[in-house]
Amino acid sequence: MFEKILIANRGEIAVRIIRTCRDLGVATVGVYSEPDTRSLHVLEADEAVFLGGSTAAESYLDMEKIIRIAGEKGCQAIHPGYGFLSENPVFAEKVENAGLVFIGPPSSAIRLLGDKVSSRNIAKEAGVPIIPGGTEPLADFSAAGRAAEETGYPLLLKPAAGGGGKGMRIVNGPDELESAWSASRAEAKKAFGDDRIFIERYITRPRHIEIQVMADQYGNAVYLGERECSIQRRYQKIVEEAPSPGVDEDLRAKMGDVACRLALQAGYWNAGTVEFVMEASGEFFFLEMNTRLQVEHPVTEMVTGMDLVELQLRVACAEPLPVSQQDIKINGWAIEARVCAEDPEKGFFPATGLVTRYAEPRGKHVRVDSGVHAGSLISVFYDSLLAKLVCYGKTRDKARRRLVNALNGYHIEGVVTNIDFVNRILNLSAFSDARLSTDFIPENFDGAEAKEAPPEEHINRLVMAVSLVYHCRNALVRESLKPMVSEIGSRLADKERFEYMAKSGDEVFRVMLHGNSAERTWTISVNGREYDVTHPPFEFYRRRLKLTINGGVHRFIIRFVGNFISGSYCGLNRVFEIYTPREWELAAHMPSPMKLVSEDVIRCPMPGQVVEVRVKPGERVYRGQEVVILESMKMESGVASPRDGIVDGVKVEEGRAVESGDILVTFAKEEE
Amino acid sequence: MDIALQENISTLERLREEALQCGGEKRIEVQHLKGKLTARERIELLLDEGSFEEFDMLKTGRGSAIGDESTYPGDGVVAGHGTVEGREVCVFSQDFTVIGGSLGEAHSQKICKVMDMAERVGCPIIGLNDSGGARIQEGVDALAAYGEIFYRNVKASGMVPQISCIMGPCAGGAVYSPSMTDFVFMVQNSSYMFVTGPNVVRTVIHQDITSEDLGGAGVHGSKSGVAHFTLPNDILCLREVRRLMNYLPSNNRQKAPLVDFSDPPERTDPALDYLVPPNPGQTYDMNVLIYSILDGAEFMEVHADYARNIICGFGRLGGQTVGLVANQPAVLAGVLDSDASTKAARFVRFCDAFNIPLVSLVDVPGFMPGPEQEHGGIIRHGAKLLYAFIEATVPRISLIVRKSYGGAYLVMNSKHIHCDINYAWPSAEIAVMGPKGASEVIYRREIQAADDPEAVLSERMEDYRRRFANPFLAARRGYLDDVIFPRDTRYQLIRALQFLEGKKVEKPDRKHGNIPL
Repeated sequence: MFEKILIANRGEIAVRIIRTCRDLGVATVGVYSEPDTRSLHVLEADEAVFLGGSTAAESYLDMEKIIRIAGEKGCQAIHPGYGFLSENPVFAEKVENAGLVFIGPPSSAIRLLGDKVSSRNIAKEAGVPIIPGGTEPLADFSAAGRAAEETGYPLLLKPAAGGGGKGMRIVNGPDELESAWSASRAEAKKAFGDDRIFIERYITRPRHIEIQVMADQYGNAVYLGERECSIQRRYQKIVEEAPSPGVDEDLRAKMGDVACRLALQAGYWNAGTVEFVMEASGEFFFLEMNTRLQVEHPVTEMVTGMDLVELQLRVACAEPLPVSQQDIKINGWAIEARVCAEDPEKGFFPATGLVTRYAEPRGKHVRVDSGVHAGSLISVFYDSLLAKLVCYGKTRDKARRRLVNALNGYHIEGVVTNIDFVNRILNLSAFSDARLSTDFIPENFDGAEAKEAPPEEHINRLVMAVSLVYHCRNALVRESLKPMVSEIGSRLADKERFEYMAKSGDEVFRVMLHGNSAERTWTISVNGREYDVTHPPFEFYRRRLKLTINGGVHRFIIRFVGNFISGSYCGLNRVFEIYTPREWELAAHMPSPMKLVSEDVIRCPMPGQVVEVRVKPGERVYRGQEVVILESMKMESGVASPRDGIVDGVKVEEGRAVESGDILVTFAKEEE
Repeated sequence: MDIALQENISTLERLREEALQCGGEKRIEVQHLKGKLTARERIELLLDEGSFEEFDMLKTGRGSAIGDESTYPGDGVVAGHGTVEGREVCVFSQDFTVIGGSLGEAHSQKICKVMDMAERVGCPIIGLNDSGGARIQEGVDALAAYGEIFYRNVKASGMVPQISCIMGPCAGGAVYSPSMTDFVFMVQNSSYMFVTGPNVVRTVIHQDITSEDLGGAGVHGSKSGVAHFTLPNDILCLREVRRLMNYLPSNNRQKAPLVDFSDPPERTDPALDYLVPPNPGQTYDMNVLIYSILDGAEFMEVHADYARNIICGFGRLGGQTVGLVANQPAVLAGVLDSDASTKAARFVRFCDAFNIPLVSLVDVPGFMPGPEQEHGGIIRHGAKLLYAFIEATVPRISLIVRKSYGGAYLVMNSKHIHCDINYAWPSAEIAVMGPKGASEVIYRREIQAADDPEAVLSERMEDYRRRFANPFLAARRGYLDDVIFPRDTRYQLIRALQFLEGKKVEKPDRKHGNIPL
């Protein structure tokens, strides 16, 4: 085994690799950029070396510097993690040439599988089923027209280089082909500097199934079952599971065999993932092979009981695979939720900030791979993935319930996260019934809101939690003030029955609390339905709450927001206004909240970088017109003017990094 | 006899019934349509259920001096006392449904009566204002009536907390009573305050402006600083008043109430170690620190939208109410300007008057430069804050979080103006000015003579930064009592408050000092 390795990555994956290294007694060297100075992986690594720079290019992508540090620190190998340099054949080669071990496949295999065209060809040679469509990039539009006739509609235009959905276009009929063709080429050219496009059949209601393979340097390859990663937003996975509810023993063996064949054909070793698209019929087609450890590898680890990073290290050390195919058994079920700093309400745009509160769920069969802690600064420079929460159960539903509970107790403040959103996914009947496809999000959501109404029980529990916190907080203040109250006149025994109206959006709940704060046992009715509730002493400062409702334990995140109180539970995230009955009666007279007068500035809606400014001072703009184009994570998007007006000043220029709330454009004062 | 008594009882019943009807159903309906509650409904929400005791329910005016001889039930105001979370307060609530809530002799006498009582028994006085103004029909009596209220506002000032809620019109001389009270609440879109209204503005300076733009809650909450709190409607406004009351003592002889949120004093917050960004040019949000250290993360900010470069407000540490004065680096870099100085100065004086310990969180690059500020009297206004801190005899604790430069360092409750305990974080930089400015002055000749002035400057800046941009020089001099770990801030502040609980300062025998108003 290696004595010391360098981890050329950051965040949760760096921390995760360090964990296995520690178990194996391998010393670790971490590297970090300026924004990561105080990151968790820096604290966790045995040694950490400063790379300098803020952007990825200046830091985690600087091959020469990383290899030099590895040499200076006496490392024998470099683990690239995922992303950054992990699938860069040039890097792998340079590592090899520097006399170090690249913990991953040989550079030749990366190169072969990294290009869509060559990987398709080798898959074909290995007998892996391929999606109908051209394997050659199309020369021009007329070639595209001919290829489209052969493949049939709907079809997909796909750039030969790159990924992440950039440049991809779905074409439903011949009339759409021409515009899609030129758009796809232009986008591919811009994104990858390569406008080669090919056409393939578009599969409706596809599922994303991938096979984990592990191969050694002696021609042995095994598969460690499949993962289903159909639930994606913006072409990125968000909830993954193993095994797949759509794959049975036979299918698994079939997919596993072709995956191993492909690996061997490509001269592959180390961990790799063969991605397939699967139709409802169970027919599957090769998508691509990822030549690295996947983000979602923990679900495989949980159902197989293997440590994939350990296997990676052993194989990289030229050890033979310690397991054969018969040793690998799939046991139980594991589901992973990706916890990202992003705002589902704003189209999943990345969010930034200082993590001011951080509390992870804990428990048996609950695994958290996290790269953050209280104090972490989430910047615009890197991926928005904060942590992965993985839960295991004997059955799929047990794993699902455990994950829901764990997410209910996952508390992150200071930066907006998708915790409630992923929890919403897990609570949909479409998820529990495993009606999965890569269209899951658009099929089941309007923006961030689920189309399916949440179970009444969930809402009632949340209503009880917020009402109880509201009541007990006020009771506590009243109790504390007693020494200052006139002693004359016997104090009447406190009331034991309290009534509130809780309003959330258009819904109103009548809540009756019966019990007392001292004993912490309550009978609570919500719109006439009664529940028995007990709770440990309230610690309001924690903003996490545990209630036992009719014998079941439930966790909530509860927070006062001015005069209102917000609560999160099972994917519900609501702000409640709580009124006494008399206040409620009088609230009927209150005016509805006025709309804010639009400001005379346009503010930046999200952190990112300005790629284009489309207006000049003095220009008239109209409501809805895009004035500035921002790039944030891999996405470009326009900032639209909220009103008509004449531009007075443009406060940003191309290339400038901006934070949300920054002023982009100011308007001139209009003459009356 | 029996019959006479019976008659009196039914008369009483009738009069009470009349009084409770206020201006009658129609006017109440109009009041509701405007999104406003009636005087009695407001009192009902402000006070604990069933606790209101009314005075002068039967009082009426003498009838106007000119023309109209009629009298009105309660003369347009409801007054009395009741409790907020069990603690007594005096309250008056102007009734717009009775002759527009206009203020005349009897109306004023009712207000004066509860003000006098509040001062005598030592309980807060809360005024709910909703009045068309002086009752013109009463002539000079109406003016006299205002004068009596002003007189009592000043007499009660610093004796009992005085709270005003503007829940409708408040114009002309009427504005001066609320403006002399300790805290002014305004309801958005239904209240306004101005000395002269839009009509006069149009006549005198030929400018068209709406009441809302001239003196609405938005204007007074953000531009003029007249309103300390602005709320979207009556219900939330009254709730907010109740919330404020829970932070305050009933009078200047009491200590502020202790409210136990069972938030452990020794609770640490590791995130604070990372709050101050490594790059001195970067900002951060001071609210993160505030919400982290306070009990139950509850903070009641005063003047939240006005002079946002300084944050003032009430919170609790170890149950004890404290007044927080914190620079906000996220707004104008936390610089002190005229508005920020006067905002904080008035807040400091309120806390001092009512035995509320002061905690300042300092990150101040200096005073705002420029002719606008200089000509606007920043010297005078800055001096107010300086004066207010020095004058304060309550426990005074100061924590230097990051920058603390020059005169602003001294003003922000420093050891040199006798704060009791002065702590600093390791990120503190205490010096006459920032590294750049200082190096340019000290090494002017050297930089000018250099072949590469930029290089020399940055070298000198680095040198200066190492020597002065840290808390250790001040700590060696004893100007800081200690340099603390950010994560322990809450515990350190609570321990300091415990230690200072017995603080007593002999007051000099003088009428009053002469704060540079």
